[in-house]
Amino acid sequence: MSTSAFHSLKVLDTRDEIGGMAKTVLFDVPRDLRETFRWRPGQHLSFRFFVDGQEQRRSYSISSSPFTGEPMRITVKRVKRGRVSRHINDTLKKGDLVEVMSPKGNFCLDPDARARRTHYFFGAGSGITPLYSMLSSVITAEPHSFAHLAYGNRNEKSILLEEDLEALAALNEDRMSLHHILSRPGWWSSADTWRTGIVDKAAIETLFEEEPPYAQDTQYYVCGPGDMNYAVREALMSLDVPASRIHMESYGGSKELDASVEEVEGVGATARVTLNGSQYSVGVNRGQTLLEAARAAGLTPPFSCQSGVCGTCRGKLTEGKVHLRARMALEDADLRDGAILTCQSVPTTQSLSLTYD
Amino acid sequence: MPNMFHLLPVEAYTSQDWYLREQREIFSKTWRYAGFMEDLSEPGQYMAVQAGLNNIFIVMGRDRRLRAFHNICRHRGTQLIRAVGKTQKALTCPYHDWTYDLEGNLISVPEEQEEFGQVDKACLGLKPAKVDLWNSMIFVHPDPNAPSIGEWFSPVEEYIGPHIPEELVEYEELNQSYEIKANWKVVVENYIDVYHLSHLHSNTLQMYDHKAAEYHWEGPHFVFWEPPSAEYLENQDSKLIAPRVIPKDLNGAWVPMLFPGIGLTGSEDGWNIFIVEPLGPERTRVLNRGRVSDSSGWKFAKQAVTSSMFWTKLGLSGKYERHDAMGDDDPMVAGDFTGEDIYACEQQQKSLHSPYFETGPAAAGESPVIHHQKVVLEWLGEGR
Repeated sequence: MSTSAFHSLKVLDTRDEIGGMAKTVLFDVPRDLRETFRWRPGQHLSFRFFVDGQEQRRSYSISSSPFTGEPMRITVKRVKRGRVSRHINDTLKKGDLVEVMSPKGNFCLDPDARARRTHYFFGAGSGITPLYSMLSSVITAEPHSFAHLAYGNRNEKSILLEEDLEALAALNEDRMSLHHILSRPGWWSSADTWRTGIVDKAAIETLFEEEPPYAQDTQYYVCGPGDMNYAVREALMSLDVPASRIHMESYGGSKELDASVEEVEGVGATARVTLNGSQYSVGVNRGQTLLEAARAAGLTPPFSCQSGVCGTCRGKLTEGKVHLRARMALEDADLRDGAILTCQSVPTTQSLSLTYD
Repeated sequence: MPNMFHLLPVEAYTSQDWYLREQREIFSKTWRYAGFMEDLSEPGQYMAVQAGLNNIFIVMGRDRRLRAFHNICRHRGTQLIRAVGKTQKALTCPYHDWTYDLEGNLISVPEEQEEFGQVDKACLGLKPAKVDLWNSMIFVHPDPNAPSIGEWFSPVEEYIGPHIPEELVEYEELNQSYEIKANWKVVVENYIDVYHLSHLHSNTLQMYDHKAAEYHWEGPHFVFWEPPSAEYLENQDSKLIAPRVIPKDLNGAWVPMLFPGIGLTGSEDGWNIFIVEPLGPERTRVLNRGRVSDSSGWKFAKQAVTSSMFWTKLGLSGKYERHDAMGDDDPMVAGDFTGEDIYACEQQQKSLHSPYFETGPAAAGESPVIHHQKVVLEWLGEGR
């Protein structure tokens, strides 16, 4: 049978969430479709609805774990002018039949009973749905592992699956932690708010400080709306997390997200170099570092390790821009002041001014 | 027929050849203690530890994850790696400044063009090792694909005691390290010899009821528990030297010896480690560190004062009276059980060199000694 075929599933039950602003829909998967609808934590379902006579297709992440014995379910937030989300929230009820494709997606966490890992989850809004499936799967089916969730929402009334999360955390205090981040918390807060703001670098750094990984095989899962995924990914990478450990739903065709690109070639440029009180004009070939160019021009600038580690070749950029391949010897504040490591700098503008003095 | 020390030939305790085989087959293929988790608790901190034949480098990134690599620069193989940099760290070898990132990727080779033409950096990353935390301790394994530390220790977890070392704090005065002039197996086998407790330590460990000890093996790991003596148990809270750290219904001394040479000693008022490191066929280093309740100094002071009367009355003392001493510092008179053990181990080691060396029958309480020899034989590929 084609995996893109639609099947009819009966709605087992529905449950209102966050004061009627979202709905959880549970499905009854009959015995002969169990295999077809076997899902991995993190996968989603594609639906076909007919709303006002028009066919509409949507995908929603499965918000339950295949390891806990719960029914397969989705949790859908009501979106203003969202035809399908309103249809689901307003009309779908117990006993209805819906058309669904088998579960798909590679943003998955497959638990391993023998593994001992620390899983960090970063979510916001509806992004919690696949993360909840992953998180509850880890707790159920990966007994030696740990899980930490940083979950961003607007306020305490918009926290999806809050009760499920709190219940899970209360039963597993020794290996799970829950961190609510609210961008606009209300006067009174039912949720135990951890921070105000968004899931950003400062929040992530604080989370690592408060909940450092115990199991050292760490994995990071990100799911949120809009630009959050890339911002979190960039923040994680700036905190030394290797890209290979970061998992996020890839919606394809995204921006140049990778700040980690090693071999930036830069552009050919002319640099005005001040060294020991004298000024020189130095041609820099594409792919050449400022240090290499200066030495090729017969200058004797200071340098040592050529690895970006020692800081000997440090200079200050007063005009133009460079790409720094590595910057171990510099702090963020140094960078803001224009400091560069000439052994690691390739020009990205055609004209630069640099001083060693 | 060589002289035998129960199941093992005497040379297993004296020869360089056996020592190297054990370094290769046992200590290079098991999890090795590297420190307490507090030792690497801030980004950028690093340490190196010897695991059998391997020197392993451990460093913490800003994500607070530990990374472990074989401390071998991929250029000349030198064991010189260090972590440098202010916030963004790099791993570098000062010999020729080859530099790696925190994932072990080689990122820079000085004068690459002039000196090498080109270096295929992708093939020259640091070789990874495995690192993990278990019971508040950092462990490393030379093989990055080794089974998880959870799998290695999970069979013993229910038998090693109710202590939660992560919730206790290090008591640095318990930190000591000393060399014993004996083979590492002599030291381990003394630790697991149940028969000797009532004899060598007759006046130093008498607060526990050795006759009621329960012990068995879980794979290569030995687990042991014994209850407090009736005298020590009565109104015990006033007799503990430090605040209580385990519930009363799980009282006792929990003293496992995990393989290879990773001893733990948990009691009502503390939790200690006893790490055995072979330095040579007849030289062994023991490292002790310990944790106690995270309580105020006042609570400790109170506990020390109320318990002192009991200990004075119980009278921890040497095995022999002063008039039988063989000198001013005879460990059989001093009344310190560690000194008693060291003395017994070193005298055992000396005897192994006698052409007349021979053992008598092993007692029931020495069955763990025999079993440990079997485990060693198995790891050397000589078991049944």
